[in-house]
Formats: sequence, C-alpha cells, structure tokens
Amino acid sequence: MHLDPFELHRPASVEEVVSLSGRLAGQFDYLAGGTDLLPNYKMHLNLRPHLVALEDVPELRGHSLDRLGAMERLADVEQDRGLAAAYPPIGDAVREVATPLVRSSGTVGGNLLVETRCFFFNQSYFWRESLGFCLKADGDRCHVVPQKKKCYATFSGDLAPALMAVEAEVEVAGGEGRRRFPVERLYDVGGDGIHRTTLRPGELLVAVHLPVHSRSRPGAYLKLRVRPSYDFPELGVAASGTMDGTRVQRLRLAIGGAEMAPRRYDAMTDRLVGETLSADRLAAFALEMERSVRPVHNTFLLPDYRKRMVSVYVRRAIERVQAGGAK
Amino acid sequence: MASTTPPPFRLIGQKVPYVEGPLKVTGRAEYTDDIKRPGQLVGRLLRSPWPHARLRSVDVSAARALPGVFAVLTGERYPTAFGVLPITHDETAIAVDKARYIGDIIAAVAAADERTAEQALSLIRFEVDPLPEYADPRDGTGRVTEPIHARGLNGSNIQKEVVQHFGDVDAAFAQAALSVRVHGNFAGVTHAFTEPMATIAEATPDGRLTVWSATQVPHYLHRSLSEVLGIPMHRIRVIKPEVGGGFGGKSDPLPHEIVCAALALETGRPVKILVDREDVFYTNHGRHPTQNDIRIAMDARGQILAYDIEALIDGGAWSSFGTVTTYYNGVLSMGPYRVPNFRYRGRRVYTTKPPSGAMRAHGGTNLRYSIEVALDQLAEQLHLDPFDLRDQNALPPNSTTVNEFRITSTSFRKCLAAARTQSGWDRKFRQLPYGRGVGLGCGFYISGSNSPIHFTPVMPQSTVHLKVDMDGGIAAHSMQADIGQGSNTLLALIVAEVLGVDLERVHVQRVDSDVSPIDIGSYSSRVTFMMGNAARAAAEQLRAKLLAGASALTGVPVEDLEVGHERYFSRRDPTVGATFMESLHRAMEREGALVASGAYNSPKMGGSFKGARAGTAPAYSFAAYVAEVEVDVDTGVYHAETVWAAFDCGRVLNRLAVEGQIEGSVHMGLGQVMGESMNYRGTRLMNPSLLEYKIPMPQQMPKVEILLVGDDDPEGPFGAKEAGEGPLIATLPAVGNALYDAVGVRFTDLPITPDKVLKGIDQRRREERPWKGH
Repeated sequence: MHLDPFELHRPASVEEVVSLSGRLAGQFDYLAGGTDLLPNYKMHLNLRPHLVALEDVPELRGHSLDRLGAMERLADVEQDRGLAAAYPPIGDAVREVATPLVRSSGTVGGNLLVETRCFFFNQSYFWRESLGFCLKADGDRCHVVPQKKKCYATFSGDLAPALMAVEAEVEVAGGEGRRRFPVERLYDVGGDGIHRTTLRPGELLVAVHLPVHSRSRPGAYLKLRVRPSYDFPELGVAASGTMDGTRVQRLRLAIGGAEMAPRRYDAMTDRLVGETLSADRLAAFALEMERSVRPVHNTFLLPDYRKRMVSVYVRRAIERVQAGGAK
Repeated sequence: MASTTPPPFRLIGQKVPYVEGPLKVTGRAEYTDDIKRPGQLVGRLLRSPWPHARLRSVDVSAARALPGVFAVLTGERYPTAFGVLPITHDETAIAVDKARYIGDIIAAVAAADERTAEQALSLIRFEVDPLPEYADPRDGTGRVTEPIHARGLNGSNIQKEVVQHFGDVDAAFAQAALSVRVHGNFAGVTHAFTEPMATIAEATPDGRLTVWSATQVPHYLHRSLSEVLGIPMHRIRVIKPEVGGGFGGKSDPLPHEIVCAALALETGRPVKILVDREDVFYTNHGRHPTQNDIRIAMDARGQILAYDIEALIDGGAWSSFGTVTTYYNGVLSMGPYRVPNFRYRGRRVYTTKPPSGAMRAHGGTNLRYSIEVALDQLAEQLHLDPFDLRDQNALPPNSTTVNEFRITSTSFRKCLAAARTQSGWDRKFRQLPYGRGVGLGCGFYISGSNSPIHFTPVMPQSTVHLKVDMDGGIAAHSMQADIGQGSNTLLALIVAEVLGVDLERVHVQRVDSDVSPIDIGSYSSRVTFMMGNAARAAAEQLRAKLLAGASALTGVPVEDLEVGHERYFSRRDPTVGATFMESLHRAMEREGALVASGAYNSPKMGGSFKGARAGTAPAYSFAAYVAEVEVDVDTGVYHAETVWAAFDCGRVLNRLAVEGQIEGSVHMGLGQVMGESMNYRGTRLMNPSLLEYKIPMPQQMPKVEILLVGDDDPEGPFGAKEAGEGPLIATLPAVGNALYDAVGVRFTDLPITPDKVLKGIDQRRREERPWKGH
C-alpha cells in the first residue's frame, strides 16, 4: 500500500488555517498526528488532494488544568499527573488510547474528531472493491444494516466521553469567527457515521476548555476492548460526579465506542440526584442504561456482548465516583 | 595432581546469545527487503476479488501499454502445478483456469515503481463466470456441483481422507467403565510472523537465475522453481537471507516466489516482490479451522482403553501440507499416554478460502486440546487428580505404540512431577476462590519427521560442511534455515563444543544453494535433532584431523589426547599439549585447509500399513503445563497469570534459545485460546490486519516458569530433542482446564472470547449447577 500524492500546507496561525480552509473548501483534510488519517489514506479512504498540517500553529499547543490545545500530543497530556488527578476520567482515557507510539504522535483534537470505524470501512481498496463499496466511502449501501441508507460506523475515540463527563467545552474557529460550546454538542446525535459533527465546513478545533467546577471531582473512564492496548474502544464509559454522603449530588455519564456518536445521558442521571444509590438501585440504573444503547455488528466484539457490558461498565464507573475516585 | 572431572560441556547447556544477534538488534542484518539489485523492478500481484470463478478471458493490453510496465503475466505462461508435497501438486504460480478464493493470484506485473505497478494491475480486465463458493467444509464432503479441484474424492471437495483402526475400539468401549466425548471447534489461526514474505529474483546473461527469498525451505523452493520454470536446478541459485519468523508460514514453496522468478525471466531485470500484511493473510497456510469429535474409553481405575477420533479439517483452496495434516490430527494422539486401541477418521476438505497449511505444532494442537479436556472430565468423574490420571497412563520409555511409533526417551513423568510441585497444584486445584483456577494440559510432538518429503534421490536429511583454513576461522555451511529460532547459533555451538574452540571462530554461512549442502529445511521441528547430529558428525571429523596434528606435534597418541579450551593436551600430563592453532597448522601441512562433511539420516521405523510413516520421528518431546487464570465473572475477561511449563526436550543445548521458544510458544498458544482467529463471513476474511487479528499484547503475557527436566535422548545430538513446536501445544488445554476450575464451564469452541465465557456461566446457572458456591 502506498500514499497517493497530495499537496501539503503548513499554516502558522489559526487565521491562516481559516483562510486556507475557505480557499480549499471541501478539498482538504486537517492533518494532526496522522495516526488515523494516514492509514486511512493508504487504504484510499476518502482521499482529498490537500492536507492542511496543523503542527506549526502555536495556539493549538499547550495544556494546563484549564485548557488542552487541540494539537497537544496525547503522550504529553498523559504525563501530566496533576491533570489526571484533577480530572480522573481524562487521565484514564488518555492512557488508554492505542499504544505509547501512537500517543506520541496522536493529538487531543485528533482523538476527538477521529474517523468513525466499521469493519466494512476500515479495509483496503481491494477488500472494499471486491465486496462492493459502502456508503461511507465510494459506494451507496450499508453492509451492516443493508435495509437502511444510513451509515452505522462507530465513534471510536476515548477522550470524548471523558471530556463530556467533566463537562468540558470546545473552542472552534471558522470563517464566521470563534465559537465555544459543550463537548457533547460537537457531535451530531441526529447524524450518522458519516455526518457526525456539528462543525461548519472548514471549522477548526482550537482547544478544549476544562471547567473549574468539575475539577477534582471523582470519576473514571473505563474502556472495553479485546486487548489491553492497541485496540480501539468497543465501549467506553466515563462518569464524573459528586456525592453527598451516599446521595447523588451531581452525576455526569457519557458513553462512546458503542454507537455512531458519543453521548452524555443527563436526563437519566439527573433523575438520580438526591437518591441514595444502593447496590440494587445502581444495578437497576445500569440496566436502564444498557437498554438505551444500541451497538451494531461492525466491530470485533459481538453487539449483544457490547450491550451487556454497558451495565457492567456503567455500574463500575459510578462505583468509582462513589468511592471518591479511589482506584 | 588432584583429579577433578572437567564439566562435561563447555558451551552446551549455557545461555548462548544468537551469533547474529548484534547484527539484528542494530539493524545491520540483511533481510530480503534490504537487498537491492541494480535496475530492480517492482513486482505486484493481482488478487482475485471472487471466491470461486472460472477465468474465461483476460485482457492485459492496456496494462502492457502503460509506460513503465515491463511485463504482465497471467497463469497460462507457467501452468505447471506444484506444491510442497509431491503427491498433491494442485497449486499454480498464477491461477490458470479458475480463481479459488478471494486473494488468489490471477495476474502479476513488473514495473519501474510501485504506483505504476498498481496502476497496471487496475487496467487488467477479466471476464469470469462466478462459481459456487464453499465456506464450510461440511458442505464439501459429498458430491458438489463444482468441485474446487478435479482431484477431490468422488466429485466432492474432500482432499484427503484417512481411516485407521488399531486394536478393537468397539470392544474397548463395550467393556469400559466410563467414557466421555468432546466436540472441539477451532477457528483458523495464522502465523503472524514479523517479516512479511519477500522475494527477489534475477536472471543473468550467464544463463543463471538467482532467487533470494524469506523461506523456511530453501531446498523445496529450489526444486519447485526448477519444476515450474523448466530450468535445471544447477542453473538456479537459491539464497536465504535473514528471515523474520516463519512458524510454518514460509514452509511451502509459495506462488509469489515463483511469480517473482518468472517476472525476472520475462524482463531480464531483477524483480522484487514484497507481500504486504493483508496479502500475508491471504497467503495464509495457517492452522486449519478444525472440528473434532473425540471419544475416550476408560476403565474404573482410570486406565485409557481406547480413543475414537474424528476430524473435519478445513483446508482452504489448496492441498499444501494437508495430507500430513490429515494424518497428524489422528496419529499425534498416540502420546504421551499409552492407548491400546485407536480408531481415526480424518477428512480434509477444500473450501474457497485462503489455503491452510503447517503452523507451529502442526496437526497436534487442536487434537490435543480436545483430548486433554476429555481427560480432565474423566479424572473428575473418577475423583482422580488430573496429574495422577495422566501419570498412571504415561507411555513408558523404549516402548511401541499401538500404531507402531517407536518411543525411545520420555521424561513425561518428570514433567508431570515438576509442574505439579512448582505450581503448588495440590493446594490450588479446586481450592481457589470462584473465578480463579488452575488447569493441567500436556503435550507430545515429533522431533523431526522421520520421512523426508522427497524420496528421490535418496540422500541424508541434513548435511553440514566445515572448512577451516590457516586463519583459524571455521566456515560452517548447511541449508538449515535459521528463521529466528537460533539454528545458526546451534550449529556454531555444536562445532565449537566438539572442537573446544571459542564460539567466535565459527562463522555460519548464509544459506546459498551453490555452496550449502542440503538440509531439507526448518519444519517439523527437525533442525536441532537432524542438523545437530550432522554438525556433530562433521565437527568430529574435523576434530580427528586437529588431534592428529596435535599428536604429531606432541608425540602424544591421539587416543590419549583431551580436548581443552582452544588446546589439545595429554590426559596423562595436561602440561603436554598443543594449541588449536598449532594443531591446525600442523594438520594443514599436507592437505591445506581442513574440510569435513557430516550427515544425518534417521533410522528406518514405523509399520508397513498405509500411512504408517506419518508421525514417526526419531524422538518425541513431552510437556506438562499448569496455567493459573483469573476470570472477571462480570465481563468474561480473563488473564492467565502464570504458566508453569515443564518440558522434555532431552538435553538442553542452548538454554537461552529453548527458553525463548517456550515463552514464544506460550504467547502463541494463548493467542489461539484467547482471541486469535481468522474471522470469515462466508468466504470473506474480515480481519486481514494486525489491528483486527488479535495477537495478545505484552500485558496479557503470563509469568512463564520454565522447567526443563528432560533426560538425554539416546539418538539426539548430545541427547537433545526438539523445543520449537511441542512447547506450544500444552498451553491451550492448560488454560481451558484452568477456566473450568475457575468457573465450572467446559469450553471447547476456540478462541474462548469473553462473550463465550459469560454465555457458559449463564448456561451453567440456568442448569442449576453451582460451582464453588456460585
């Protein structure tokens, strides 16, 4: 497999990026760490003639307890023990991404906007051509749910649920200026595996902002996958919250790796506020959560199993909140 | 003078780092892809997108016309069938009449660069008639509408059927106190070696063809190139550079190797073919997907009375080693226990999927899993400890099995004792808390197949040449194929041991058919035993010459000389002697450089019935492993924490290599138990990548406690036997039986993924069979 030629652009500021993206409308991809994009390009998945590399843009760098630059390397975030202590789900999630080698290139923004995955999509050109191309690349049908004209590719980032659980916001820049909104609104819950974000054409992810109010709040991110490294999530559950004794004061729960977009389940967790979470009540809640998640058969583990694991992982993540984040 | 007995060996039994290690770890070792020839072209293979199709016509004109394309090749140019076994030649370099699986090679190009080559492939147009695809071997056992090969048995897709019966199995079951039956189902797994296959070929104006290839079997490749290309062997030169792992996946002559040579002949330019990772999965030749059905009859005291075994083996599109596989799936049950009555029916069936072939512990692995699970069940029913049951059934040394295998050395009972003691078995078995368990699995494997694959001409199975000139460096030549398992080091070690010289004097030469005497290759765990004996024989000849030189210098009769470190000295007066270099120079006075040739051929053995040779070996390895596992009973995820690996490989020659082989075998065995599988939907391979083919990660590796307890084998070099394949086998049942001890569920469908663990626990609860109080 080889990379087809593309034109590489190296803008040095957010403003330059925005102006380039306007000029190259629809004909480019952003290149962050490249650990996801370049393998996909080698498989000839949705090639664009231009790549806009973001590594020379200083504003996209840096991390602190307040802010994660979109181009900050996952390995650098991972090494910040203070950050992991302040936001346990982030510390858990960043450690669980792929492998140390991938994390040394992979970025915060790249993980948030990682391409959705499906075993009919993440295949070579030869493989896809021999079966018949799918909706998500070069074709017009879905091999997972053939009766639907919709893409079921799975959202496979680890950071998104963790950031949702700690109630982080994203900052984006585009032709119409900058916007800042909660991470969960970055993903288009009404979309599908292709139309998956609410970003406007050409909009650039600049940074993640971490709120003070959730700092040092107990929580966890738990990742289901076949092997303890390397693999993408087959399910990722993040929880963050505060307890008033045994009673729930505030609870945020987000799930990724199971459907086309990561989601936070405020309506369900808000119902727990003020309740004492006995083991039975927690088990019942976890089952309710399990019922509301619908994985399809497009990853390695069977969907029934992934669904069943929702309740186990939800229960365990909330138990970590109850335990005050103690491991 | 105090008489102290010198240690029997200076190097043997030590941890000897690989002689090529410094080159490998610094990136200086030369693998096939490191070789670049002037004017080299890129060869690329077009693979079939159809699982089964008749190739009606092909138009290559546009591809040929593309600038930068030097040759386009289709099947009819070199249609001679080949295959590793002379009796089942059913492969062609490029598909001739039909494509037989998704990934089958249907055309090839040589071009100036990679992009041009790929573009040329995209311009080749086939017209085909689709044919029925056969995914499940069960669908191919009767007459089929379109047999995958004409040679299928009676119009079916059965490639090979083996039926054997020794003793009286029905009578044994009739008198048995109890019996069990296990249906095993095993997904196919593949070798996943580090270095994808690669070949370079160059035809030169002197009429010769040179082929460099990542192969385990340079000699068989040499033969196949000659047969298919119609060039006498002496005009072909096969060179094996360093090889990054094989595990059986490079033990067939492979189509891309022949295509590469053909493209070199067509273009007159050197051509390189690199097989990419996805294509490695299509080339496959991995472990066969297998269903087996195993019945064991036992008397009330726990003695095995009979085995009754059936196996249905999914061969994929070609024969490969399949005839051997079909025998092995039965006859490798003949150890490590005494089995007085044995019946077997095995069928290997072609399917339109990537070919299966030989993979580490070929033919013994899936069979052994089911047997060891069955024995665990029998022990439980008889209230016998699994160790006791196995111990009382152990094959004695110097015995003959019911199918006439000759058993010489066995330290199997010592393996059992060591594993039992070291693992703390007696305080763990059935006594650990719910979710934690220990299990025992045992193993038995051939130490080199007694039969070479080719019988003409009659020749030794291994030959080693040594040459030492006045510089005191010893060149060792042999076609034995080091594929990372340490056979070069073993060769150097044996020569240095016999001659008493430093290891650094021995220079093992790259395999090159022009100068290397034939060894038939690295497969069937034969190299230590066969090449080791050949090396020893050659070194002993050289030693005789050196001792004659030392004798001439010192006046001490040869029979009174001892071999010391770089010195030969009088046994009566150790101060009288000559150094290695002095002895060498004296010995060279009349004949110049000293040369020696040693060879090994295994003795005649086996019965006279059809198939009697299958599974005969000059020696066998034995194993007893205990695994301790911890299961998360909510998720079904489990971890093997420790494996106690007691192994009988006879005398250990290079402890470092043996330990590495055992650790690697545990890893590979765990992969097949825990998650590795060639996942098919129909005939389509869903996971042809190392991301989705789930080789265990380092964090999943258990602690491996290696217990080497073998006694010397009477015929092995210095008493050694194999340690490359046998160590894998016991891993699987040890884990399977440990899972039973942990959660009370028998797992016979591999890999045992977490979802299966949960389903098993669910079913046990539904059946109200509590286990350890749960």
